[in-house]
Amino acid sequence: MQNAKDSFYMALRSRLAVINPERTIVLRGAVRPGILVEEAEAPFSQPPADVFVIRWLGLGADVNLDAALVAAECEIIYQTCGCQSFGGLDRGRALSAMDEEMLSILQPFSTPKLSFIATPPAPMLTQVFWDEPAFGPVVTQRDRLSRSVKVMVYSYQEQGE
Amino acid sequence: MFDASRNGGFNPDAPPAPWISLGWIQGFTRAAAGKSGAVMTGIPAAPMEQVRESLDAEVSFQFLAWNKLTMALATGSQHMNLLAPSPAPGGAQVMPAVSIQSGSTANSILLAPADAAAFTAGSMIAVDVDYAGQTGFVASPVSGAYVRQPLNDVDYIRRVTFNVALVSQVTQTGLVLAEPLPGGVPAASAKAQALCGFIDRLGGSFCQEWSGLFLMEGSQGERIFFYYPRLQTMRDAEEMPVPLAPRGKGSLERIVLKAQFRALPVTDPIDGERVLCYRSFLPAPKALV
Repeated sequence: MQNAKDSFYMALRSRLAVINPERTIVLRGAVRPGILVEEAEAPFSQPPADVFVIRWLGLGADVNLDAALVAAECEIIYQTCGCQSFGGLDRGRALSAMDEEMLSILQPFSTPKLSFIATPPAPMLTQVFWDEPAFGPVVTQRDRLSRSVKVMVYSYQEQGE
Repeated sequence: MFDASRNGGFNPDAPPAPWISLGWIQGFTRAAAGKSGAVMTGIPAAPMEQVRESLDAEVSFQFLAWNKLTMALATGSQHMNLLAPSPAPGGAQVMPAVSIQSGSTANSILLAPADAAAFTAGSMIAVDVDYAGQTGFVASPVSGAYVRQPLNDVDYIRRVTFNVALVSQVTQTGLVLAEPLPGGVPAASAKAQALCGFIDRLGGSFCQEWSGLFLMEGSQGERIFFYYPRLQTMRDAEEMPVPLAPRGKGSLERIVLKAQFRALPVTDPIDGERVLCYRSFLPAPKALV
């Protein structure tokens, strides 16, 4: 499933870079598109604001097929306090903008599966695909608005995986 | 005939020839529709003995995977190949078939270099002879159609053949197949032709007949076999959506192929009895019997 998780993240990351190149984050000294995988970064007490944080949850498999179908539940969390120049009064608008970006980068609901073990990544035979996103309610914590989106990500296990 | 005593321990993913694995199924249901009647005698009448009045059985299930054979089994009519269209405008409607060189095998098709260049890795091919105006059953390794009157289509047999495979590699001398051709080594006069998919029709008069072997495997190694020597589809093509994820976890669905068959009788060579199905049970190792 690691190839599917990597491919899913890289697809969302490259789509975000096209849709909103200004949404970036500085991570380990490098400027990157504003989306990261929680389990691949140093632990943080609170998720950074104005970026998308991917968290992998449940895992299931259907092995009664020619190629096993694996499903991983993905939660994408994002939060914002708005901008300082508006004193945070635009935090609702900022969250709406992130909602729209989230919906945009999830479409289309599939991407080619790649193996990132080698450089450049090697294309595999199947596609990673996912379900329609389920948006959770807005959570308000002082001046911070946050939301989480859950998506089921599917992938067929290929030979060697 | 399937003999569970000789072949009962086979690997389900690689059954012994001539069986072909069609993968997992779900919803397997057997329905015996045969009737028994009582021979009544005496006053007042009471059953003296029973007689079997009719022999009839059905079996239904869903295929989880779509491929040439599962689609063909689950349809109530003739199943065909979609020959690849010709890229040349105004020319032939389909990609022309190419002659197969001698020395070809079930896994390797030898072609002239110019012919091999017309194929790509990942393409599918149908391998069979040209149609030459004959009538009756045509195609191999099993009949794909019954031709009642001569047709004007040299590619017709390759349209209906079950001798299809996926190309994994193209070399200067031919094609390497990802799976062996069901018909084995191609006939000397066979040709290879590109196809892009499969098609069946609602209607038609050709009804295919198959043999079916169903295996239920227990957790301790015990096995139950249901062997139907003759099965004929008894319903038209039908599909059913099945949710991919548990309720509330998503909306994606998998489309499974619904299949329903009527069992036809054979005569058991041991005692001459007419039977529809054999059920065999191989107990778990060291289990009390």
